[in-house]
Amino acid sequence: MKSFHQPHFDSVDVLARRFAAVDYIASRGIATAVYLGFNLEKPILVEGPAGVGKTELAKAMAQILDVPLIRMQCYEGLDESKALYEWKYGKQMLYTQLLKDKLGEMMAGAIGLAASMERLHAHDDLFFSAHFLEPRPLYQALHQERGCVLLVDEVDKSDPEFEAFLLEVLSDFQVSVPELGTIKAKVKPIVFLTSNNTREMSDALKRRCLHLHIPFPEPALERRILERRVPGLSAALNRELVAFIQAVRQLDLKKQPSISETIDWAKTLLLLNAEHLSLDLVRETLNVFLKFEGDIDSADEQLPALLNQARKDAEIHHASHA
Amino acid sequence: MQATLEDFFKALRGSDLDVSLNAQVDAARAVQLVGWSDRTLLKSALGATLAKTISDRALCDDVFERFFHFESFDFEKALAPQPPAEPASGAGPSEATAPPGDEPAKSQGAAGSGGSGGCRGGGGQALSQLLLSGDSAALAKRMQEAAREIGLTDIWFFTQKGYYTLKIQQAMGLESLEREIADARRQTLAPEHARRLELARKRLYAEVRNYVERKLALYGTAPTRQLHDDFLLSQRLSNIEARDFARMHVIVYKMAKRLAERHSRRKKRRVRGQLDFRRTLRKNAAYDGVMFETFWRAKVVDRPRVVAICDVSGSVRQYARFLLLFLHSLGEQVSDLRSFAFTNHLVDVSETFESLPVEQAVDKVMQAVGGSGTDYGQVLLDIHEQLLDDIGRRTTVLILGDARNNRGEARAEIMQLLYQRARRVIWLNPEPVAFWGLGDSEMKHYAPYCHIARECNSIMHLERTLDALLRAHSASA
Ligand SMILES: Nc1ncnc2c1ncn2[C@@H]1O[C@H](COP(=O)(O)OP(=O)(O)OP(=O)(O)O)[C@@H](O)[C@H]1O
Ligand SMILES: [Mg+2]
Repeated sequence: MKSFHQPHFDSVDVLARRFAAVDYIASRGIATAVYLGFNLEKPILVEGPAGVGKTELAKAMAQILDVPLIRMQCYEGLDESKALYEWKYGKQMLYTQLLKDKLGEMMAGAIGLAASMERLHAHDDLFFSAHFLEPRPLYQALHQERGCVLLVDEVDKSDPEFEAFLLEVLSDFQVSVPELGTIKAKVKPIVFLTSNNTREMSDALKRRCLHLHIPFPEPALERRILERRVPGLSAALNRELVAFIQAVRQLDLKKQPSISETIDWAKTLLLLNAEHLSLDLVRETLNVFLKFEGDIDSADEQLPALLNQARKDAEIHHASHA
Repeated sequence: MQATLEDFFKALRGSDLDVSLNAQVDAARAVQLVGWSDRTLLKSALGATLAKTISDRALCDDVFERFFHFESFDFEKALAPQPPAEPASGAGPSEATAPPGDEPAKSQGAAGSGGSGGCRGGGGQALSQLLLSGDSAALAKRMQEAAREIGLTDIWFFTQKGYYTLKIQQAMGLESLEREIADARRQTLAPEHARRLELARKRLYAEVRNYVERKLALYGTAPTRQLHDDFLLSQRLSNIEARDFARMHVIVYKMAKRLAERHSRRKKRRVRGQLDFRRTLRKNAAYDGVMFETFWRAKVVDRPRVVAICDVSGSVRQYARFLLLFLHSLGEQVSDLRSFAFTNHLVDVSETFESLPVEQAVDKVMQAVGGSGTDYGQVLLDIHEQLLDDIGRRTTVLILGDARNNRGEARAEIMQLLYQRARRVIWLNPEPVAFWGLGDSEMKHYAPYCHIARECNSIMHLERTLDALLRAHSASA
C-alpha cells in the first residue's frame, strides 16, 4: 500500500496557503492538525458546532490534493454491509433464473440432493464476484487508484459496534470479505471523521486519531473568510457584520449563527446594496442567520445594544489597523 | 530534546492527563516536523497529538504554559536590603517575554552537561560570584541544570521538598559558598562581605525552594493520585468517605468504559443482516432453480437484560451506591436495565435513572428510599408479586445485600422460583463468606438458589463480577 506522499507540504504555513488558494481559510490550529495528520498518516477527528467548516475542510483537502472526496454519512443502524459493499441480490437471482438451463445441464446426472448440492457448490463462487457487488463508500475509498480523502461524517451517530469495525479499517486500511478475500487500499486515504458529540467516542478510536476542535472563528479569521467567500462586500460592512455576529454569539441562543450563516447574511446584504448596518436592515434580515423563532425574538429585543456594540468593535478594529 | 519531551509528558500526567505511548510517539514525530523554534506552533502540535478531547486540550495547553514557562531567578531582590515577601515567580503563565524555544534549547544543553558533577555549567563561575553580581539569567540556568542532574522530575511527595531543595543547591555549588562564608567570617576585616554572602545564601534557598514547589505542583500530583487511587480501589466501599466520592465516580466511570469497550469489541458483529445467498441457492436446487425459500443471515445481538435489586439499608447502602453507579455507566452494553432498591419493601427506581444523570440519580435514590428494619422476606414477596413475570431466560438478576433479615421469615422458596426462571441469579454480599449464615444472616439459605454468590466489597470485586456478567453474554451470543 502506497502512502500519499506525492505532494508533501514543506510547512504548516505552506499548507495554510494552499488552503487559502482553494478558498478555505484555515486557522493556525486547523492547519497544524491537518499538516500533522497528513505527515503522520493519522485520521483526524474533527469536532465543533454545526457550520464551522468541518465538512468543508475535507472538501478543501481533496481539492488541494486533487483526488476524489468520498463521503460516508453515519447514522444509527449503519452496518458493515452498508458501509462496505452489498451483494446485488436481485442480479444474483435474475442470473440464476436466466441460467436455469445451464444449471439444469450442470445438474444432469446428479443423483440425490447431496450430489446436486456438491455440484452447485463448485460453481457458486461465480455469483460472488465483483460483478454482483454493490460498492459502498469504504470499498470505494480503498479502491481509488490515486488515493482519496475519506470523510466519515457524524461518526458519533453510528453504533458502538460499527465504531469497532471502523477502527479496524482505519488501522490497516484493509478488510477481509468472506467471499472475496482481503481488500487492501491501493493508496492510504486521508481520513477525516466529524463528530457533533452526541456521544463520546471510544478511547480506542480517539487514540487512533488526532483530535481537532474547530470553535466559532475569531473575528479576524471570520473577516478573512468573508473576503474570500463573498467578494464585493465592502471592507466597512465586512467589519460591522462580523462584529455583529460575534456579539450575537454571546447571547444565550438555541442555535448560534455559524460561518455558513454569516456568509448567507453577507450575501443577502450585498444583494440589498447595503453600505452599513442599520436597525431596520438588521431587523428585516435576522431570519437569515437565526433559525429559531425564539432566537429571533431575543435578538430583536436587544437589537440596539447589539448594534451599538458591533459598531464600537468594528470601529476599534478599524482604528487599530489604520 | 527527547528528555524535555519526556519531562513534558510527566508534567501532563501530573495534571491527570493520561498520555498513551502511541500519542507520545506521535508527539515526538510532530515536534520533529514543526521544530522547537516557533512557540505557538510547538504548542498546537503537542496539543493536536496529545489531547483527545476538548477538555484535554485545554489542560494540555495549560501545562504547556507552565512547563515552558521561562524560569526566572529574581536576583536583583536578593541584594536589596528588604527581601519582599511575595514569591519570586513573578512570571505567570502568560509570560509573553519567554523567548520562543528558549526553554527547550536550554534543556538540551543541560542534558549534555549531565556528567559535570560539580555543576559549573554556567560558564564555570563560582556560585558566590553569580549571586553577588546578580546575574539572574546565569543563575536560572544553573538552577535548571542542577535540577536535571539530580532528577527533580521524580519528585512526587511534599515531604521531599527539603531534600530536593538541598540537593539542587549542592549541585549549584553550595559547599564552596559555605566555605567562602566561613572564610569571610573569620576575616574580621570584611564583615560587610560576609553579611552580603549570607543574605545571598538565604535568597538562594528561597529561590530554589520556590522552584521546587512549582515543580512539585507540576510533576508531583500524578504519583500521589495514583497511590490514592490504588488505595480507593482496594478499600472496602463502606470506608470510602464522602470527600472521595467524586474521585471514585471518575474511577468507576473509567472502569465501566473500559469494560464496555472490551466487550463491544468482542461482540463485533460478524453476522450481517442480509440474504445468505449460498444457502438459498443450495436449498432451492431441488426446486428447479426457482427460489422458494430464502435464507437470511441472522443478526443476533444479545445484550444482557439486567434486573438489579439493591439493599440500601444503612449497613450496605454504600455498596449499592457504587453497584448502581457502575451498572449504569456500562451504557449500551446492558440493554434494558431495571433497578430496584429496598429496605423493607421493593421500590422501582428505574425511572430516576432514566431521567437524571447517573450520579444525581444515585444520590436521589439513596435519599429517597429508606425505612428501617430490613425485611428480605417481604421484599421477596414483593418480587414474587411485581417482578417474577418479567423475568425470563434472558434476564440476569443481580441482588446486592447482606441477607441480614432481622430474624424475619426467609422465603427462600421465592429465591428458588427466581433461580428457575432467570438466566442467572447473582448475589453480591459485602460480608466475607465466613460470616454468611452467622447470626441473622440468611445467606446460607439463599446461596443454593444463586448461580453465583460472591463476597463483594471493593470496587475491584465489582469490576470482576460485571466483567463476568458481560463475558458470559458475549460468549453465548
Ligand atoms: N474556514 C473556512 N473558510 C472558508 N469557508 C468556510 C470556512 N469554514 C466554513 N466555511 C463555509 O461555511 C459553510 C459551512 O461549512 P460546513 O458545511 O463544512 O460546516 P460543518 O462544520 O460541516 O457543519 P455541520 O456540522 O452542519 O455538518 C461552508 O460551505 C463554507 O462555505
Ligand atoms: Mg458537515
